Amino acid sequence: MINTLLSLNEATRTVNSGSNKVTLLNNINLDVKEGEFISLMGPSGSGKSTLLNCIGMLDSFTGGGYTFLGEPVHAMKDKNKSKLYKEYIGFVFQAYHLIDELNVYENIETPLLYKNVKSSERKAMVADMLDRFNIVGKKDLFPIQLSGGQQQLVGIARALIGKPKLILADEPTGNLNSKQSEEIMNLFSELNKEGVTIIQATHSESNASYGSRIINLLDGNIVSE
Amino acid sequence: MIFNYLKIAFRTLRKNKGYSLLNIFGLAIGITCASLIFLWVEDEVSFNSHFDKQDQVFYVPTHQEYEGEWRTFNSTPGPLAEAMKTEIPGVVRATRTKRMEILLADGDNSINSIGRYVDADFIDIFSLSFVEGHAKEAFKNPNSIVITKETAEVLYGNSKNVVGKNLKVNDTENYLITGVIENLPNNVTFPFNWIAPFEQYSRGQDWMNEYGGFFADTFVELAPEANVEKVDASVRNLLEQKTGDTDSKAFLHTIKDWHLRDDFENAEQVGGRIESVRLFTIIALIILLIACINFMNLSTARSEKRANEVGVRKAMGSGRTRLIFQFISEALILAAIASLVSVILLIILLPQFNLLIEKDLILGLSKPIHIIFLLGITLICGVLAGLYPAFYLSSFKPVQVLKGIKVTQGSANFIRKGLVVGQFTISIVFIISTILVYQQIQHVKNRDLGFDKDQLVSLNVNGTMIDKFEVIKQDLINSGAVKSVGLNNSGVLNGGNNGSGLEWAGGSNTEDVLVFFRYINSDFIETAGMTLLEGKGFSDNVAIDSTNVLITEAFAKLLGEGSAVGKKIVREDTYTVIGVVKDYLFEDMYGQSDPVMFFNYHGEASYMYLKTDPQMATEVILSKVEAVMKKHNPAFPFEYNFVDDAFNAKFKSEQLIGKLSQLFALLAILISCLGLFGLAAYTAEQRSKEIGVRKVLGSSVSGIVKLLSKDFLKLVGVSILIAIPIAWYAMDNWLQDFAYRIEINWWIFVIAGLVAILIALITVSFQAIKAALANPVDSLKTE
Repeated sequence: MINTLLSLNEATRTVNSGSNKVTLLNNINLDVKEGEFISLMGPSGSGKSTLLNCIGMLDSFTGGGYTFLGEPVHAMKDKNKSKLYKEYIGFVFQAYHLIDELNVYENIETPLLYKNVKSSERKAMVADMLDRFNIVGKKDLFPIQLSGGQQQLVGIARALIGKPKLILADEPTGNLNSKQSEEIMNLFSELNKEGVTIIQATHSESNASYGSRIINLLDGNIVSE
Repeated sequence: MIFNYLKIAFRTLRKNKGYSLLNIFGLAIGITCASLIFLWVEDEVSFNSHFDKQDQVFYVPTHQEYEGEWRTFNSTPGPLAEAMKTEIPGVVRATRTKRMEILLADGDNSINSIGRYVDADFIDIFSLSFVEGHAKEAFKNPNSIVITKETAEVLYGNSKNVVGKNLKVNDTENYLITGVIENLPNNVTFPFNWIAPFEQYSRGQDWMNEYGGFFADTFVELAPEANVEKVDASVRNLLEQKTGDTDSKAFLHTIKDWHLRDDFENAEQVGGRIESVRLFTIIALIILLIACINFMNLSTARSEKRANEVGVRKAMGSGRTRLIFQFISEALILAAIASLVSVILLIILLPQFNLLIEKDLILGLSKPIHIIFLLGITLICGVLAGLYPAFYLSSFKPVQVLKGIKVTQGSANFIRKGLVVGQFTISIVFIISTILVYQQIQHVKNRDLGFDKDQLVSLNVNGTMIDKFEVIKQDLINSGAVKSVGLNNSGVLNGGNNGSGLEWAGGSNTEDVLVFFRYINSDFIETAGMTLLEGKGFSDNVAIDSTNVLITEAFAKLLGEGSAVGKKIVREDTYTVIGVVKDYLFEDMYGQSDPVMFFNYHGEASYMYLKTDPQMATEVILSKVEAVMKKHNPAFPFEYNFVDDAFNAKFKSEQLIGKLSQLFALLAILISCLGLFGLAAYTAEQRSKEIGVRKVLGSSVSGIVKLLSKDFLKLVGVSILIAIPIAWYAMDNWLQDFAYRIEINWWIFVIAGLVAILIALITVSFQAIKAALANPVDSLKTE
């Protein structure tokens, strides 16, 4: 039986811009099952990133309900939210957002520090991850010494290290060339096969084709599925 | 986790070398500065703490009333000590003492040495520890002397068994050494190199056993359980009980106050050096604050660079507390590095600082208190400097910073500007204070003293100098080095011998006036460069002047209308005024001239004054004088003082304040400039795109420099406006302590303001010019 990972019920996000109230997300209803690979599509400003951020709990819906693994996120305090996403969610960013002052090994290790994983365990987990992504030789390099594709690889490794149930990727290949993009997308589908749920925001039809489900957004509304 | 923070911190430091250096250097200067001040404060506060009985030992000065004002004097009548011990319950030990400089000689090896004639209780009162000999035996024989280890080493080298040897004193008497005591530390109020029984000093001087003569320093020890206030009340009544005189009150002055609280005004304790100690403690804290402000400013200014990291860390699951902890630990690491740097700076600078303040401070890094202190400063600086940036940086919202939305710096900008204004305000207050302190010192130094301190050499009278005075004088003048030779029983700059109870016709309130007595030879007035306003001076023939006196203007005024010459003054005998001398300053260089009465008698002279030839080189003069003195007074080493040096020494505490405020003004400005330099660099960097666009649109280099400098100069302008009233208030307060003082001129504020603007301009324009000269293509390409 396939479990529901998260569900949105009439979820809305508005912001106040000057005296105007702007609706970024309008009454979104969405159920995500474990093991899905969803692509969010739509033009710039359609609300893809906002939706990802809200699902990732970096941002909050201003109305409606959000349930994650049966827990009502909309009624949670920040502290508990943080606990929840630390445990179950990994982020991959378009601009990679690696910490410049840390090398590859340390960047991948960081989420484990925040989860208070023991040092010996951390070593083993990071070593596994480096191995799996074939970047053992680069573990002492700093982000600035890597190509974009390699940086994104590290970004994904970092997102995966906490063994999340859900990976949120905001235009993960937006800064990469087509060859690098293909590698990253292949990696995503591999991960998906292993059971990781993925939601990506993308402009690219070909990237979206890797997914199992495509959701089109326009002006904060889901227009088609 | 901590290890991770450390790593990040060091890498951030390394990556931003310029900022890190500015930060570390600024903080290090601040810590160094504060440490120097605290070392000085520690020394000041530790004065006399070497002695064991801190709660029981008291000095006994007297308040005396003249013309309705209470003045405070150190000297007490001889019998007071014994009376306190026997008649006031609670006083368990008491001693008369008299400070003296005597010649100690072992064969040809001789030194002039300062010490005290004391009663036997002195040894127990100050818990003196004997290296040789026994405390109980030391004063059994009246012809004994106890010397310090240092004195023993000077006289006998390293040889032990000094006790039992004879010392020839003043080339006349022999004292038997009965003990050698441990050296005293430098920080004692009443230092001495030897002590000897008081009887040696008072022998044959019966007046010393009467209550009429105030000449001795009295020390007492109370019983541990004694009630100090009660004893003090009894002490205050004692002199009245003995003499019926209500104008003199002896009182207890605790050993803990000797150094820091020894000023009295109208019989009230009004402080003393404690004020300087407080002042400089505050200054130390202010300088630390300025250094911390730098850190805050530079950290928040660079926040954009760190914003992304904050966003990523939050997305990775970091809570705000952890980020705050991370940034504070970064600040602590920086502070720790700064502390290490400052230790190095201290090692280099402490000897110079010691020269400046004339002390022997030691760094004492092995002292736990110093280590704790340094760690404490580091911790406080780190937390203080790190707190604001930590809260500020950790407040960033990940969604915004990761999207690259510019962090709105509204509040941070405002606070940053406020901090710069704060720094410059402090710096400008320091500049103004420095100028005013300097002016005040110069003002007093250039004051008309009523005598000529230049080319005036003073010798202590000893040995045969009085007996052979005429020959010595003749030989000195024949040598060509000396123009005239004067004798005086008191130092020309000192208070010395005084009394009241004089009477004269036509004056009111006559016996209440305090008059200073000077016993001089006929040439003294000329030698000292004093001016005879009326009448004539003393004759070479002392017999003629046995009932004649000279008086100063201040005294002449008291005698009433008309010329004072010919008027009579009664002081036991009746004296006739034959001349009036222009008022001159002694003792308190800021005060008014007290009345002085001169007698033509040099038998008791303590000082010989030589007016030297201004055409002759100092070394030549001294060698000629030395030759004469060696010839006629061979037993005593030739020692001399220049009166102008002694005069300068009178301003020691003001000069210390002057020197230190100069130093700290300089450092405060330096630290503030480091901060400003960093901020200017940051602003230039932040606005590089704007500058590029402006240049492309045709702006000139000078236009851009102006644009960048303007904002900073505005801040300095605001600082000037804030600093002026603060400085004016503080310095006006300080000046109130001096009877003879300068007026605060408006142009000082103008100068200080201009200096601040100039310094800020130089600091900022360096960065501004650099930014303005950059090729716009580079700055525009990166976007």
